[in-house]
Amino acid sequence: MSGNYRSVFDIIGPIMIGPSSSHTAGPVAIGQAANKLFGGVPKKVTVHYYGSFAQTHRGHGTDYALAAGLQGFAADDPRVPRAPMIAKDNGVDIRFVEEEGESPIGHPNTAILDMSNGDKKVQVSGCSIGGGAIEIRDIVLDGSEIKPSGPLPIVIYLYKEEKHENGIPVTTEMEKVAPFSRKQVIRAKDEDIYVYDVKNYMRDETVKALKDKFGSIICL
Amino acid sequence: MYDSIKEIVEDSKKQNKPISELIIEQECKSSGLSRDEVWAKMKKNLDTMRAAVEKGQKGKGVFSKTGLTGGEAVKIKEYRENKKTLCGDTMMEAIQDAISTNEVNASMGVVCATPTAGSAGTLPGIVFMLENRLGLSEEQMIRFLFTAGGLGMVMANHAGIAGATGGCQAEVGSASAMGAAAAVEAAGGTAEQSSQALAMAIANLLGLVCDPVAGLVEVPCVKRNAIGSGNALISADMALAGCISKIPADECIEALAKVGHGLPESLRETGLGGLAGTPTGKRIRAKIFGDAE
Repeated sequence: MSGNYRSVFDIIGPIMIGPSSSHTAGPVAIGQAANKLFGGVPKKVTVHYYGSFAQTHRGHGTDYALAAGLQGFAADDPRVPRAPMIAKDNGVDIRFVEEEGESPIGHPNTAILDMSNGDKKVQVSGCSIGGGAIEIRDIVLDGSEIKPSGPLPIVIYLYKEEKHENGIPVTTEMEKVAPFSRKQVIRAKDEDIYVYDVKNYMRDETVKALKDKFGSIICL
Repeated sequence: MYDSIKEIVEDSKKQNKPISELIIEQECKSSGLSRDEVWAKMKKNLDTMRAAVEKGQKGKGVFSKTGLTGGEAVKIKEYRENKKTLCGDTMMEAIQDAISTNEVNASMGVVCATPTAGSAGTLPGIVFMLENRLGLSEEQMIRFLFTAGGLGMVMANHAGIAGATGGCQAEVGSASAMGAAAAVEAAGGTAEQSSQALAMAIANLLGLVCDPVAGLVEVPCVKRNAIGSGNALISADMALAGCISKIPADECIEALAKVGHGLPESLRETGLGGLAGTPTGKRIRAKIFGDAE
């Protein structure tokens, strides 16, 4: 298998601002995922490009696409081409670095985002696999490294409370509303990080219900 | 979820349903959305495609920021109105709509990626021409997109649809194959004939490289969509005439994947080889970005 396309709308769609689904719409999605993982717009971002992204990001509008996603804009938002200016006006510093050599996550369309705001630091490594679809293959959150399978949706929950012997409520709920193919638990300093690779795309209502129930849950 | 073209053709025969119906059912099942919701989503995609086609050929047309592409859909429109074309008006209409869409894409307009933005003109080129030629209803046009998308999923999962991994054959090549198969269904052909059209369309564009000048989705991408639409119509007509691809569709897809993996990096969306690597291609890059990378 070369891809992980699970909906006809991965192929017919997305509706987007041009010019490239893999180098524009995909980076918008990587930026959106980064925004969700950071929990809002970071103050400072350094983007490391690899492979085709390093060679062609300027021609494809990859810079404005990532800036748009980082600010939570959708792929068809008319503000997408102006996103770097809008970020600058809001005091968000975004830099782009063309890296040489192989992508650390093994794909020619790779962007690694180092985000910070004071002491808060998050790193997201994403790749754009074509047609606007992305994978998130590596995340560093609260100093802990997470390696999801890649394809979205990915659900992440930071569990700070006492241990439950029979699993945590999020897992029980996920089994009911969003069946997953893999669950990982990463033991971090102050918490346990639960990572679920979800099988099918989640409906908006499902995401909303999960957020209502478990406030800090992250649905990529 | 369907994992091969063969399964889709067999199910279509067994259940006596067109491919579009099987794909609508698959989508409802995997997404949990109702038939009406799935239908409305696809209608929105069709409306977006129509808007892009119309935008690119209004007035003087649209132009990209670099000035490398634009205005040629309008040239084709005027040529069709004033001259006797060589390909015939039907084919030229498809070419006009394909180019119009990708000119809008290059000018940072709104398009529907099918399956990618670089290949977004290929399906509109086919479907709006068929609307006029065969008098397709909106329902038939929406079904066209489900058929194209469902077969495209199999291609995307087996061979990929990114120029950076598989070359242009994975983008315009995939779009052309999807469109050829969907055109067959729209014309009343069987699922088996759709799979033949898909196989022939892939075979005709196998090996097509991704060599964007200056890394921009402009040259040669815009005009490549003309061959995407044209090849789809040629392949669909051959299939409807009863022509057979000696290599089955699923094996053509595997061949596409293998050829893609074999392409050197310079021909996989790096803007280094092919047309991008010509003296003129390099000069254009230097002029736009102020360097000579």
